[in-house]
Amino acid sequence: MTTYTLLIAAPLFFALVVMVSGVVIRNIFAIAFVIGLSFLSISNIFVFHAPTETILPHFFHNLFILLDGMVLLFFLWQGVKTKNSLVKIFALFQIVLYVVVLLLSPTLISNDVLIDEISSVMYLIINIVGGIIIVYALKYIESEEFSRAKKNGFIAMLFFFLSVMNFIVSTNNIEIFFLLFELTTLCSYILIGYRGDEMSVLNAQKALWMNQIGGVAILVALIFSILQYKTVYFDVLIANIDAFYLLPIVFLAIAAFVKGASIPFDKWLLGAMIAPTPVSAILHSATMVKIAPYLMLKLAPAMSGFVSLTITLLGTFVFFAASLLALGKDYFKEILGYSTIALLGLMMALAAIGTPEAIVACLTLIVFHAISKALLFLQAGILEKSFHLKYVNDIDGLINNSPLVVFFIIVGFASLTIPPFGAFIAKFMAIETIASEIIKNPLYVFALIFLALGSAFLTLLYFKVVTKLFVKDVETKTVDIKISKFYTIPSYLLLILLVVGIYISFELELLSSLEIIVPLFLVAIVPLLFALILFKKADRVKEYNCGEKDDIQLNMYYFHMPSVIKKDIAIIAVVGMCILILGVLL
Amino acid sequence: MIEILLILFAPIIGGFIYGFERVVRARMQNRQGPPLLQPFYDMFKLIDKQAFIVNPYHTILGIMHFITLWVVVAFIIMGQNLLYVIFLHLLSSIFLILAGFSVKSIYSHIGSNRELLAALAYEPILIMIAVGFFMVNGSFDIAVIREHDASIASLFLLFLAYLMVMPIKLKKSPFDATEAHQEIVGGVEIEFSGIFFEFLYMAKWLEYIFVYLLLMLFAGDNIFLGIGLFIGVFLLLNLIDNATARIKMKHLIKIVLSLGLTLGMCNLIGLAYV
Amino acid sequence: MFDLKKYRKKSPWILHYNAGSCNGCDIEILASLAPKYDLERFGVINTGNPKQSDIFLVTGPVTYRSRERLVELYTQMPEPKVVIAVGSCTCTGGVFRDMYNVEDGIDRYIPVDVYIAGCAVSPELIIDGVVKALEILEKKSKEMEKALKLFKEATSENGVINRRNVALKVGEVHEEN
Repeated sequence: MTTYTLLIAAPLFFALVVMVSGVVIRNIFAIAFVIGLSFLSISNIFVFHAPTETILPHFFHNLFILLDGMVLLFFLWQGVKTKNSLVKIFALFQIVLYVVVLLLSPTLISNDVLIDEISSVMYLIINIVGGIIIVYALKYIESEEFSRAKKNGFIAMLFFFLSVMNFIVSTNNIEIFFLLFELTTLCSYILIGYRGDEMSVLNAQKALWMNQIGGVAILVALIFSILQYKTVYFDVLIANIDAFYLLPIVFLAIAAFVKGASIPFDKWLLGAMIAPTPVSAILHSATMVKIAPYLMLKLAPAMSGFVSLTITLLGTFVFFAASLLALGKDYFKEILGYSTIALLGLMMALAAIGTPEAIVACLTLIVFHAISKALLFLQAGILEKSFHLKYVNDIDGLINNSPLVVFFIIVGFASLTIPPFGAFIAKFMAIETIASEIIKNPLYVFALIFLALGSAFLTLLYFKVVTKLFVKDVETKTVDIKISKFYTIPSYLLLILLVVGIYISFELELLSSLEIIVPLFLVAIVPLLFALILFKKADRVKEYNCGEKDDIQLNMYYFHMPSVIKKDIAIIAVVGMCILILGVLL
Repeated sequence: MIEILLILFAPIIGGFIYGFERVVRARMQNRQGPPLLQPFYDMFKLIDKQAFIVNPYHTILGIMHFITLWVVVAFIIMGQNLLYVIFLHLLSSIFLILAGFSVKSIYSHIGSNRELLAALAYEPILIMIAVGFFMVNGSFDIAVIREHDASIASLFLLFLAYLMVMPIKLKKSPFDATEAHQEIVGGVEIEFSGIFFEFLYMAKWLEYIFVYLLLMLFAGDNIFLGIGLFIGVFLLLNLIDNATARIKMKHLIKIVLSLGLTLGMCNLIGLAYV
Repeated sequence: MFDLKKYRKKSPWILHYNAGSCNGCDIEILASLAPKYDLERFGVINTGNPKQSDIFLVTGPVTYRSRERLVELYTQMPEPKVVIAVGSCTCTGGVFRDMYNVEDGIDRYIPVDVYIAGCAVSPELIIDGVVKALEILEKKSKEMEKALKLFKEATSENGVINRRNVALKVGEVHEEN
């Protein structure tokens, strides 16, 4: 029994168990399972020696084909049932393409399962961060108005998601990859539409048909790969790659763009906000969207020259554009969503560059983005459940009610922007990588400009939110509002992960020790100063208001984003992808 | 040894530059102006004054701004990574911005808001300058940059872009909308008083050191060129400060971003081809 | 340790408040800051922010609407601080004295250290006043200044209302009552 089989089978098994059990037993089992999975994924790092390779028996392949057929037919059925023509068309299209793929016969055979370093890192994110979110969901789902079976089903679905994700990062077979890709689409479709109201169903359908574009792209890539390279395996494809025939790579990259909700496919991820918060959290941090950079990382060795440059430019453009669009938003989760899209763009750009430093930067960003986003989404959930707040403009002076949540939100945003946190290190390394690429190809200057502007916009965006939390009057008294332990403990765990992350980046020497210690010291000095300076000695005074005594209401600044800009950005992104395909075709 | 002394006395040197600047500015306006040591008189007075605070977060974040800026200057003097220094400097700005937003004061909020927008304007340009240095010298390390020849010729367009960034950081016309002395009463610093304002006041001196140290990087190992650049740009900035009016924040961002990014882009593409 | 007190007078920062003046004195204050008279050579900065200023430069006879702002600004100034009443209106009410909407000078509300007469005052006088104020500022200790409050009713003799003793320093209240 190897680690990966456990990682795949255990959540699947538990998904079945949880369907029938009561609340207490379910919670205990769930926590136990999450702990177990986390330990497995950690131990996988330590026992990791050489890449694990397995060829699955023939029985499994037949099973997978059967499953694939069922999933595609389910999509078609959903399309017919909801009278959504897009879903129908893409489902039919996929079925036709899939039949074509099955008819073609690849000759070069390789391992079905291949676990390398990247997979091991992905296991960590999926199981630890995903597990923490599930623990949070245990409490969250109880506050929703669902039947008992539906509540249990929700938890089961999340575990099923983990299982699928664990498999997708282990597989080397593009056909199996396609099946799992479709299964994540299925999961997200069900989870987004879980509330069952009109908006949820609409957004779930949107997610369904957009993700099916990715499925189509994978199938097209498969056909090209079988025709030209006679294989359905990633490693064989990459080993035999011909620099003048990159079509399979490009289509797989487009599938990654779809999964990563890059502009113009960003609608589905933003629509996913309608679902219960743990769903957004798990989609944004641990699962689903992380397939995109993972796939890019897998393809990175095969990319060269034109493809690498175009994907980098597209990725950095998405980074810039998404952070620009986010400035005009007011809905907390939507802001988080756009920043996810932006950072995914950056991850994909880094993966496409493909130098060792770029890959390290990409992995760092993947890991820390997962932790920070999970932390932030959990806070979004707490805001919704405990304070009934959804819009940033309403969270005025939250520090007076819950310093803890404010602390978590600030740490979340800070970990995405400032040293010594990992996301900063990744951004830092990204600039260094792009800078050394410019020397080879001046066109990378645009990537640098997008990156510089995008990170400035993101900073602006994050602090737009943070500023609302802070406002504290001389006179307002702090009134603490109780928050459930189930909500705070996952947040604490993520905080610990962040600190561990800093330690690991210290060990790996991603930055010099001085560069890590000094900011850490600076950030830790804050509470120290609280203790040292006796503020009781200083007199309090009201804010300067030109001598007026009227009560003032301070609102957040707002950026007007004309819809023309949005359209233009989408057009540029589509044109970029067309250039990518055409350039490879010619 | 000299590095440690420089780091320790950085705020004081900055104070001298600030005092000198006030004299120069007064002379340019045909006035006598305050004494050279005026900033230090201000400093001692502020220590002596009663200190008001609005809330502890506000005060602490203001102090953190000063400390971080000092660390930034120390990093430059020690010859650390330029890119890192720029990001650390951003951290110090963020402390200040958060401080401004943490009080319920109109002017403080407007000031912080403008500070944030100004950061948006100059941050990309600073990054491009760092990349420019990397392309010329093959390293981001300031120590390495200091050992190479003067790069002002090959980075001339970026140098021009940096000339636009300097007035923003030093709060000088035409780009002084962030502080906007009487218009928004100093913006971010409005709620600080007494010894706590002292930290912000000294941070302003450190900002001088930061800006001029970055300027002197353009001169590489040529110390005379460095001093020449310092004096020339110092006079030029004060002349521009006296001769121009304040422009709006909107125009500031437009001008600095469009012009600065274009200059930087041309320079980097040129460097890649040469 | 050297005496920090002597630096008080070397860096006086000014807060200028117009309590309903006709702007004549305000123009003169600006003139005294401008190149010809150059108040900055004493280290004066016109801050416009009460929390960082040492000298409170008030013009105008204190109109009914402006008195609360006047007191509010005064309380927001950190100690030690000096108040200069610039112009006749500010000292006594000037030509507006005994009008229904005017409060006859700022010393009804806040303690004044230097009175500068004139309508409008000349910049030379302002500079003189500021220099006087600097000497007071150097000497000033915290006990010297307690805010004035209106504790007593105005007295009336032969139909003339006398408000001279209405204002008392805060510390003296108990002795009076």
